[in-house]
Amino acid sequence: MVIVQEADFDGAALQETMRLRCQGQAGAIVTFTGYVRDYTPEAATQTLYLEHYPGMCERELEDLAASARARWQLADTLIVHRVGALERNARIVFVAAASAHRGDAFRGCEFIIDALKTRAPFWKRETLVAGDSFWVEQKQTDHDRTQAWESGPLPPKENP
Amino acid sequence: MNGATIDLLYFARIAELVGKRQEAWPLTQACTGAQLLAALQERYPQLEPAARLKLAINQTHAKASATVQPGDEVAVFEPVTGG
Repeated sequence: MVIVQEADFDGAALQETMRLRCQGQAGAIVTFTGYVRDYTPEAATQTLYLEHYPGMCERELEDLAASARARWQLADTLIVHRVGALERNARIVFVAAASAHRGDAFRGCEFIIDALKTRAPFWKRETLVAGDSFWVEQKQTDHDRTQAWESGPLPPKENP
Repeated sequence: MNGATIDLLYFARIAELVGKRQEAWPLTQACTGAQLLAALQERYPQLEPAARLKLAINQTHAKASATVQPGDEVAVFEPVTGG
């Protein structure tokens, strides 16, 4: 299931929804939640605005969830991503992968969030407490992590 | 939308630089993504700071070598930053 919405979400409720949907097939549910953090330790974020491409966004998310289900034994996947103006510390994204065993659930969840960062058409605009406002640039490390999934199951470190 | 244009969509910083989110762009015969981007950069010199322009054709990521046909929906944007 894929949901793109402005409204906040309740991660615990989403995980419970997954558990009930899996009807005993999921021995493991791995979840990831992404939050609005400060741009850097020295540059506090006031607001993070998320723009998206409606239509393509949902299709890309469905497609990368399908890729995960094709690659690992997953009973179910769930992706929820917020758009619009988000305050510092707000929830942005929730990913869950359910599987009979933990290994596939861990890898499926990590693959989905890594692939989302380089494929799903969302763009972040930072507004700092200090007043500056700018569009965030994609990190080379995010690109490298998605590329690494093409060649094997173990991605490189998030921060070199 | 008739057969002699494409529906161009701009997102995020590209929409700000171009000053619009959407336009009908004349295209009478197929071209490559690279040719379309070159034409856009000529029409909108203000795109110069955006060194990494990406394309989606009919809501699918496309390479610069991909073919753009009259009637297509083509989105122009910088590398995505969700998550």
